[in-house]
Amino acid sequence: MNKTRNMKRRIATAFLLAVTGAGTALHAQQDRNQTLVRSEAYGLEYEIKAGINVGGASPLPLPEEIRALTGYSPNINLAIEGDLVKWWGERRKWGVIVGVRLENKGMEAKARTKNYSMEIIGDGGERMKGNWTGRVQTKYRSSLVSVPLLAAWRASDRVRVSAGPYLSIQTSGDFSGYVYDGYLREGDPTGNKVNFEGESTAPYDFSDDLRTLQWGVQAGVTWRAFKHLNVHADLSWGLNDIFQKDFQTITFAMYPIYVNIGFGYAF
Amino acid sequence: MDYRLLVLPLALAGASCIQDEALNTEADIERVTLQGDALNREAEFGDAVYGTDGTAFYPITLYVKKGTDITRLAPELELTAGATVEPPSGTPRNFRTPQLYTVTSEDGQWQRRYRIEVSSTSAIGTFYHFEDVRLGGNGKYHIFYETDDEGKERLAWASANPGYALTDYTIQTPELFPTYQWAEGKSGKCVKLVTRKTGSLGSSVNMPIASGNLFLGTFNVGNALKNALTATQFGLQYEKVPTYLHGWYKYRSGETFYELDKTAKDKLKPIPGRKDIFNIYAVLYENTEDNRLLDGTNVLDEDNEQIVSTAVISDAHETDEWTEFDLPFVYRPGKTIDPVKLAAGGYNLTIVFASSLRGDYFEGAPGSTLLVDEVELGYEP
Repeated sequence: MNKTRNMKRRIATAFLLAVTGAGTALHAQQDRNQTLVRSEAYGLEYEIKAGINVGGASPLPLPEEIRALTGYSPNINLAIEGDLVKWWGERRKWGVIVGVRLENKGMEAKARTKNYSMEIIGDGGERMKGNWTGRVQTKYRSSLVSVPLLAAWRASDRVRVSAGPYLSIQTSGDFSGYVYDGYLREGDPTGNKVNFEGESTAPYDFSDDLRTLQWGVQAGVTWRAFKHLNVHADLSWGLNDIFQKDFQTITFAMYPIYVNIGFGYAF
Repeated sequence: MDYRLLVLPLALAGASCIQDEALNTEADIERVTLQGDALNREAEFGDAVYGTDGTAFYPITLYVKKGTDITRLAPELELTAGATVEPPSGTPRNFRTPQLYTVTSEDGQWQRRYRIEVSSTSAIGTFYHFEDVRLGGNGKYHIFYETDDEGKERLAWASANPGYALTDYTIQTPELFPTYQWAEGKSGKCVKLVTRKTGSLGSSVNMPIASGNLFLGTFNVGNALKNALTATQFGLQYEKVPTYLHGWYKYRSGETFYELDKTAKDKLKPIPGRKDIFNIYAVLYENTEDNRLLDGTNVLDEDNEQIVSTAVISDAHETDEWTEFDLPFVYRPGKTIDPVKLAAGGYNLTIVFASSLRGDYFEGAPGSTLLVDEVELGYEP
């Protein structure tokens, strides 16, 4: 409980920082003649944006144990972000973007597996190990504070292309689901065959095994639709497993791959 | 500005490539048949028997009709798709002694060994002293067995230990299972049955309690999590008219009685003041074409048409002294035994001991302990 509250406080703090940042920007705008002009002179721009994350956490490539993806729902994952852009040179062609993003990444997926090696650990340290052939339902939802550090290139007056790494801290996460309609070979493929049919399911919850520090790369395009209104699309590609290193139950690494689509206000 | 939309299909394409299906890794004999109608009943699949070197074989018993020439039988084996067996299905062999088969999976990486034994008579004897156990589940739990005059194993008792083993593979000590051998019997060793909690994994599949049990029949672990009542398959072929079940017991109820509560986190609801009680019974029933084996769903049903006679304990109580039980077989109304069908192997008998009467419905008091020893099955000479 305490942990959750701390996390919430951390989110709140990060949010406040972002808003204060925006507030400072707002304040600056009131003094357009001075601050903004000076900012422009330094090649600085401020932007706040909001969007949705659509994607999923997936092993790459899909291991041969996964025979079919039978269902997928992206869920609604919101992202809000405050960015600072610094341009260089007379023509302001190249620049750097640094930002703070509060975001959710999530999905619900159903898959059919064959001979998928797994191990479940219970609350009391009980262990069940074997090879699962059958259906798996998974729900993933993660709340993150992310800091992107991107190179920006102005392709035209209205189009900005950006790419670079990002760092994420997971503030809370859920990775759970259940297996159903299939069978487990206890221990290995020659072990006892244990059937699951109808209402018999086995739940699992790996939420505590999610990694706190994640990183990856992102690339995207921002289009200035109006003087102050931007529309953007960014692809973010996680480069480390969403699970901790010593987590063995899922034998392959899963990478979060999301597209963020939204709009922003440029001051 | 369409190119910004290109990233989405690219990402999805990258993530959605299903690879070619791998070859099968399983190496099962799924079914055994004999040509003609030589088989008296479906083949019996037993729990793995482990050698001292850790290798295992899976016993299969074929009950054949009397007069079948077992020196030249050619079992037809149905295998996992793609698997192969050595010697091949349909090879005539002499089954005066049990014969070994090795099945290799389609991918060639995995093997299972089977031992097929052929019998035409019941292996159920008269006296049970519970002196002999071997290790099952790769050395984890006890399997009780009975011997013939030469001291060789002729019959293995079944228990739900293989199901309990599923709930936590780190439990490696026989005495931590619900069913095990105990040194202090009425005479020599005895069987000890203890009702236990199954832990978080057992609870997660709505099976929070495991009663200790021992019975004549087979435990089908494949059904253990799907429908536990059908996992206990009661009864083996029997060719005599049973008259009584006699033996000795001790019993102590566990502290707290629980009922199954699927809404609770540990799936348990304590019932204050309620005591647990054990069960001992034997059932003789007809082995009909459409419903050969009785299981936990129907073995004691009042209106089951297959059941001929039952011997059920009626004065079960807590006691720290070895206490005698002597249970006569009582015929169900209108039921008789057909001697011709009896001789032909048309009847089954089961003997059941359980530390919690309602354990099969996941009700009972963890810690309830039943000791049983020196059991005798009486029959008409």
